[in-house]
Amino acid sequence: MATTSVSVEQQRAADRGSTLREVKRNFWAYIFISPFYILYAIFGMFPLLYGVWLSFFKWDGISPMQWIGLRNYTRLFADDIWWYAVYNTIWLFFGATVPQLTIALVLAFIINSNYIRGKDIYRAAFFSPFVASSVAISIVFLSIFGARYGLLNYALSFVGLGPIRWLEDAAWIKPSIAMVIIWQWTGYSMIIFLASLQSINAELHEAAKVDGARTRDVFWHITMPLMRPVILFQVILSIIGAMQNFDIPVMLAGGTQSSSPGGTDRAGLVAMVQLYWTAFKYGDFGYAAAMALILFFLILIFSVMYNRWQGRNPTD
Amino acid sequence: MTTKLSRRRFLKVAAAGAGGIGAAALLAACGGAAPQGGQPTGGQAQPAAPVQGDAVVTEITFWWWDQVGEVWKEPFEKAHPNIKLNFVNTPFADAHDKLLTSFAAGSGAPDVASIEIGRVGNFTAKGGLADLLAPPFDAGSLKNDMVAYKWTQGSTADGRLVCMPWDIGPAGVWYRTDIFEALGLPTDPEAVEELIGGPNRTWDDFFAFARQLKEKSGGKTSLFADAGTDIYGAVYRQQGEGYADGNKVLIEEKATRPFQLAARARKDGIDANIPWWGAEWQTGLKDNAFAGMVIACWMQGGLTREQPDLVGKWRVVRAPEANYNWGGSFMAIPEQSKNKEAAWTFVKWACATAEGQNILFKASGVFPAYKPAWQDPLYDEPVPFFGGQRAYRLWTEIGDNIKAIFRTPNDLQLDDIVGAELTRVLQEGKDPVQAAKDAEAEAIRRIPDMQA
Repeated sequence: MATTSVSVEQQRAADRGSTLREVKRNFWAYIFISPFYILYAIFGMFPLLYGVWLSFFKWDGISPMQWIGLRNYTRLFADDIWWYAVYNTIWLFFGATVPQLTIALVLAFIINSNYIRGKDIYRAAFFSPFVASSVAISIVFLSIFGARYGLLNYALSFVGLGPIRWLEDAAWIKPSIAMVIIWQWTGYSMIIFLASLQSINAELHEAAKVDGARTRDVFWHITMPLMRPVILFQVILSIIGAMQNFDIPVMLAGGTQSSSPGGTDRAGLVAMVQLYWTAFKYGDFGYAAAMALILFFLILIFSVMYNRWQGRNPTD
Repeated sequence: MTTKLSRRRFLKVAAAGAGGIGAAALLAACGGAAPQGGQPTGGQAQPAAPVQGDAVVTEITFWWWDQVGEVWKEPFEKAHPNIKLNFVNTPFADAHDKLLTSFAAGSGAPDVASIEIGRVGNFTAKGGLADLLAPPFDAGSLKNDMVAYKWTQGSTADGRLVCMPWDIGPAGVWYRTDIFEALGLPTDPEAVEELIGGPNRTWDDFFAFARQLKEKSGGKTSLFADAGTDIYGAVYRQQGEGYADGNKVLIEEKATRPFQLAARARKDGIDANIPWWGAEWQTGLKDNAFAGMVIACWMQGGLTREQPDLVGKWRVVRAPEANYNWGGSFMAIPEQSKNKEAAWTFVKWACATAEGQNILFKASGVFPAYKPAWQDPLYDEPVPFFGGQRAYRLWTEIGDNIKAIFRTPNDLQLDDIVGAELTRVLQEGKDPVQAAKDAEAEAIRRIPDMQA
């Protein structure tokens, strides 16, 4: 026991020494890569750490900062509206991001199959919503979701349904936002899945076919396992993206019936909107910084959880 | 400043992205002239040391969120040849946030900033703005010329004036003569006011008239679009705006009756149930889904541009029970400004001369808080937009006769808390009395230092 720990200590000391030596030996190389780290320190690390620092203060943006210790956090944990906004955010992850990834995967598989002609047209068509600005898209969807003159209700009227107050009925606000997110992002995910599908050796599929596997079996037992790293990457990015949803919820649920962000019953209030409003509208920067830190940890927890669940290398 | 409290709702639509369509939509909702041609940009290198005659020309930057601000440039520079005015159109959605950021950063603020009524309580409570009563400024002499409540709003708790009164929003009931005539209702403003407006009529009378109008139209046309804006927005402001006096929350006192009346209008089905400030509202207007609205004078600019076919068909009468104000803005000079004296020359010219105020008023319907401007013959002329009605004189009568309005640093959050309950009342049929109680409790629970 004792001997092992000593040797570990020695090893560590030796490592430290060798790191320094390495830096000295490659001095110029470090100089050449330093611009990135310097910029990252100024524009990446500093704001991040300053945000943590800020969360211990009461600050309105102008007056002197006032140290209040953990009071922002105790207040935040008791803030029902904040946790409702977090709930809405997570709802939108399951209601929008999960279907988006699922549809994208299926679409990619279909487009990648041999039966489809004009693949480029489909690829471009599915990808184009991603290129458009979220604000422009939201303005179009505001018209589509209109309760009295909207296109969607007009279409529904032919099958004897509706009218639904898409953006004013608390039960429909989140599904409406989810529809727009799915519409905008599916093509993007599809392209990434497609790229990964195309990198799978076609011989594997052919061999399976020769052995008599059905398309469904090929999908579940060959394609899916091989795509696991890409799916993992996509899900983690999507968790981060979904927790930071802002523009579409603001556009669809911030400006219609209510003067309150989130619309009826705050059903469309997401965490980033509450954070932005707290800082820049209500002038409570310290409290908003605390929200940002909590959001950071939530993203971390969800990402780690998913990684634990799905991230194992299938060959292990 | 054509952008009012309620307009914020629409502006939030454009909040996420100010560029492109966002900015276009914002302008569409904001009133004021449509932007034509190039827009001056801030922060670009200016030609070095421009000199005119012997005097060095001082340049000042002025931020406002309506492109119509450009109309001031030429006449102001003519009157003050040694000052060059750089107007920068800062979209409303982030104009105040941007100002706040420049204060926090210690640089980047303009020489003259615009502050809207919904944010003024927030800015008067903080540092960063120059006291216009102290030298080199001399605002003190203008006090009696300004609408009284604006002066109070622009002042800090310790009596400094940091936000110069600029415009007010006298409001009333607007209606369309073409629809009224088709339904066999009186169209003359005096006859209509006799039925629904002025101090001798109540909201009950107004509702009865609205019901009658809807029946006559066979259920197609309502008198107004949305109980939340037309009724709540008016009734709340009639008793004097402000959900708090300092730290004392007044929501239950201020919101209960407006909630009740708005809920009744919705339950009785006399509003068109079309939310304001969006495409639905514009389409509803074209579709004759509603024949009128309860709103302030600044609506004229946007309607002239968005609905040119209806120009001349509008009339306006006083609201039932009491006059009220909706919206309005202030000008302020940030402490950061290096050209405070030139900035003050502009602020004084724009806000406190008949010339400056009326140039903008004519261009946009932005109504002066500076009372001597109302002496202009312009105010007694028939207004083509209102079919020849002498509506501007009516606005001055309403504007001079409005209850005081409290502004506090927490106004925006209080508005949002009440706004959330209002959606429950209107969309989910929540009991108005309970909703006001809940909003009051939420304000006390969530905003530090607030009390009943």
